[in-house]
Amino acid sequence: MRIKLLYHTDLDVLKGVLFQKNIPFDPEAVLDHVVYMFEIEDCSRVTTHQLVRHRAVSYDQESQRFSAATREGVVTPPSIQSNETAFRAYDDTLKAIYMTYEKMVAAGVPKEDARYILPSAIKTKLVMTLSARSLMHLVWQRTALQAQWEIRELATTMHKLAQEATPELWARIIER
Amino acid sequence: MRRCYSTRAIEDIESELELKGPEYWKYLLSKALQDKSLDVLEHFVLTLILEETEEADVCVLTMNFPYLRATHLSGNDWLLTLNARTLVELWRDPRGMSAAKMIVSELDSKNTCPIFNEVAFGVKINAN
Repeated sequence: MRIKLLYHTDLDVLKGVLFQKNIPFDPEAVLDHVVYMFEIEDCSRVTTHQLVRHRAVSYDQESQRFSAATREGVVTPPSIQSNETAFRAYDDTLKAIYMTYEKMVAAGVPKEDARYILPSAIKTKLVMTLSARSLMHLVWQRTALQAQWEIRELATTMHKLAQEATPELWARIIER
Repeated sequence: MRRCYSTRAIEDIESELELKGPEYWKYLLSKALQDKSLDVLEHFVLTLILEETEEADVCVLTMNFPYLRATHLSGNDWLLTLNARTLVELWRDPRGMSAAKMIVSELDSKNTCPIFNEVAFGVKINAN
């Protein structure tokens, strides 16, 4: 999985404007006004199904209606990867699924219909934009030990990138 | 940017946009507005100071446009954040039209996102 912070609100500019108005910078007061835009590549659709439950966020995700699926483009959970019997069954099933998908596309079935057979393990790409408040909520929920490994990895990296970009905001609020 | 139509890395999409230039950006924005695919505009977020504005007027905006965020600063000054989709929706709605005109005029005076202003609101791009 690759996660890139494409854009974030410049806190120095925001602080400068508030300073001109003689208003002290209060990180908690600007949580709705600081935004982050992330590009996420090669995470599974299992994870993006969980991600889109966070509602006050703008998403733009690669469409399976237009892009062809490939056999290589799947995520394998460590619990399957490390279990020889499970991995063999997983791999065999994926091969059969992709063979069927390709057969259907070759037979003239539109990709948007052939995709009904594709697994949730398929890799996807998306751009998401959200406020610091929404990101904090996401980080709180999805870095918890109960969260699944892949979205926890995603949330942990997003937290790290946001903290590096806007340390003041995260140092005062999210440290716990 | 339209991530859903492309399987390529974000850097490739950005390079293509740079290479094809402003006419292509205008085409993409016009198409998004024409097709009412306004979700792509949500990734462009604006933060402004709204001065000398009564609380009642700010409430009209926040009550009717849920994705617009306003925080009271002091007196009649507010910190306002909205994305480009919400700005288009303000522009198209009588309850938001005057605020939208004010915001677009401010963007125009600062020469911020001139192509978007031209395509979405008919603001002529300043040749200078």
